[in-house]
Amino acid sequence: MSDLQLVLTNTAGISSVMSFWAFVSSSASKRWQSLLLKVALAIMVACFAALTAVIVARGVEAGRFPLSNLYESLLWSAWGVIGGYLLLGRTYDIRHLGWMASLTAATFFLYGSWLPAGQHEIKPLVPALVSYWRQIHVPPLIVSYSMFFISGLAAFMHLWQSNCRRSVAYAALALSAALAAIGLGTFMDVNVFVLQGLFVGGSLIGLGSAWIALPKSETAAEDDKAKLYDEVGHRSIMVGFPLLTIGVITGGLWANHTWGTYWSWDPKESMALVTWLGYATYIHLRVHHEMGDRKLSLVAIAGMLLTLLTYLGFNSLGFGGLHSYGKFKSEVTLPAVYHHKSLLQCLASDGAICVECFLVSEVSV
Amino acid sequence: MSLTAFTVLLGAWCPQESQQGRAKVVEQFGEQVSSNLIAWGIADIYHSPWFLFLIAMLTVNIVVGSFKKVFPKLRTLNVPLPFLTNRQINELPAHFQVVLVADSRSVLSAVSKNLKSAGYRVEQRSDALTGESGKLGRLAPTVTHIGLLALLLGVTVTSWTGFSGFQPVALGEDLSFTNSEHSKLWIGKLPTWHLHVDATRRENYESGDAKQWYSDLTAIDNKGAKLKSGEISVNNPFTCEGVDVYQSSWGLDHILVSFNDRWARLNLSPMGGTYAAFMALDEATVLIFSVRSAVAPVKVFAKTAHWPEPRILTMLVQGKPVDIGSVKVELRKVVPVTGLQYKCDPGLPITFCAFAFIIAGVLLAAVPHHQVFVKCTQLGGGLTALQVGGFSRKAKRAFEQILRRILVKSCAGFDTAPTSGGDAEGIEVATTSGGETCPTSN
Repeated sequence: MSDLQLVLTNTAGISSVMSFWAFVSSSASKRWQSLLLKVALAIMVACFAALTAVIVARGVEAGRFPLSNLYESLLWSAWGVIGGYLLLGRTYDIRHLGWMASLTAATFFLYGSWLPAGQHEIKPLVPALVSYWRQIHVPPLIVSYSMFFISGLAAFMHLWQSNCRRSVAYAALALSAALAAIGLGTFMDVNVFVLQGLFVGGSLIGLGSAWIALPKSETAAEDDKAKLYDEVGHRSIMVGFPLLTIGVITGGLWANHTWGTYWSWDPKESMALVTWLGYATYIHLRVHHEMGDRKLSLVAIAGMLLTLLTYLGFNSLGFGGLHSYGKFKSEVTLPAVYHHKSLLQCLASDGAICVECFLVSEVSV
Repeated sequence: MSLTAFTVLLGAWCPQESQQGRAKVVEQFGEQVSSNLIAWGIADIYHSPWFLFLIAMLTVNIVVGSFKKVFPKLRTLNVPLPFLTNRQINELPAHFQVVLVADSRSVLSAVSKNLKSAGYRVEQRSDALTGESGKLGRLAPTVTHIGLLALLLGVTVTSWTGFSGFQPVALGEDLSFTNSEHSKLWIGKLPTWHLHVDATRRENYESGDAKQWYSDLTAIDNKGAKLKSGEISVNNPFTCEGVDVYQSSWGLDHILVSFNDRWARLNLSPMGGTYAAFMALDEATVLIFSVRSAVAPVKVFAKTAHWPEPRILTMLVQGKPVDIGSVKVELRKVVPVTGLQYKCDPGLPITFCAFAFIIAGVLLAAVPHHQVFVKCTQLGGGLTALQVGGFSRKAKRAFEQILRRILVKSCAGFDTAPTSGGDAEGIEVATTSGGETCPTSN
């Protein structure tokens, strides 16, 4: 990684943390709120600019489209989250979502910076990735994930503004369990069943409890802010869903071009399909008014957990498959030994060859 | 849909026998659990009867849903919006009222002009108008469902007439299609020609990592005549008579070595960055031939039960015999193998069209569909009550803002009534503040 890249990455990372604190401070001080919000937003814009520059710089340095391993995808995800927030912020007054968006981007940076050095280095691509399809298939997926993260965060805010605090707490526990599983799976040597149990069990228990804790009646009036975050969440999904569809379909087209099959039930493919079905369900429920807004927000949080599982979970929780993001753990491959008994018997039957014949001429190199 | 999603999730979690082999399932879950997973069909979930049943149910659901619910709604596309009464407008999710010092005709004309400039299609009568934008978004379910049906059709055509397969082919050998995989209800035909691997090679980066794999192929008919030839690489397939051949993998297959002029073929197996052939000499001793590439020298190691590590004996170069003790060993050839994936997919054009429809459908779904209803009521004394309401399923707040902006612009050319109040049924009159027109939302 060049010095320029390092400086730009650090600038983006530090500014995401700074904007987080600026957003938090703005809530603490009513007197300075307006100024601090402007400062936070300005820092966020700087973060976005630095991220854009670092992605471009990495692409120039690598001489290829810079999206080929986990580290690079994390840069794109942070870019998507910040960009998505800024874009939505032009239409909606979502300043209270700012600290969450900054925190999400900062978490991506932190996670990326802890990855092994090999992930940070620019490495040559394996033959399957040398294709124009890479730049068509991957960016829509990563940006869709970012939009789904924003929708999940907006869902948290919607529940909070709707006074469903207990549901928020349970859903936050579910998210924490999922993040803990991913973190442990990436950086520590923990049994994969424990990790999978933590992710899936934590998510199910957390979301189930959050569902039970929702008020029985959906008719209670919601304030404008709650409605706003509900709409922001829906809007994010309406942007992310087409992108996910495009990503999945172009992935199929690429696979067809490379391996002659557009669907091979690879774990990541299957998981992307599950995520797609999850959001398709959300959209159907929303359009047909079959579920109240608060429950839909929990569906959006469930969608965010599915997205996390698809994006980071499958590699860190030991599911394997074709879609690896490059190695971030050491792997040991044990050889299978082939015995050529027939050859040995054939050669030995002459009496011209014996074990000792080979072993007497040991040389050192 | 939920059950299908759950089943797919199970399939993603459990290694699939058909893809990774039974050994992988046993390695991951142990003997006891894996035998249960295999017995329940979870280890081969995508071929299990209950998954196929779910897919069949989903297919029926899509077909019935499309024809019963989705496609009939197309008829409503051409139905013009109704002109709503004052009360109906008041019941819309977003609605505004204002009383202006103007006649209703000029007020309507101003609103119409602003709606049109905002991209709305306007229908007008003497005292009311309707505006609609993003009508294309209403096509989303129809287009998506056409795509889903086309996908089902494409997959069915492929299933009945297509075939596929994978075969590792060593240099100089042939690929035939006799072992192709196809469905039980297959009515297709296998090609009578075969493919010959003329050459195959690996291109490396400076670091030694694989950059690309290439194979030169020739299609030869059953009379021995050359049909077509070409070079393939990863992401660059070869097509002949509707069959696509893909460079799927690459490796070293075997080495030909002579021991005291007796030729032997030693099969190689991948060992991380290198390949190795193992030749047991007795129960405690093994010879290891380590091969890094098709052109690099082959290292020969020996390992006994008493040695902690293998010891190198010699290095073999093609055409240069080496004496190991009393045995003359000569490397004749390192033979590469190219992994060729092939398929014939007559349903592919339909499938590609289906993909295009699905993408178009979900993109259309993001287009917000807005409906605006305007009513002017003459109040007497030169006053007109303007009532504007609208409806949008998506981006409701953004729609409200758009509506508010249009109304402010439309009212800009008129004076507003100096006092609040009104005499028409269902109208609430908004007052002005600071001399500017200021519609308020209820």
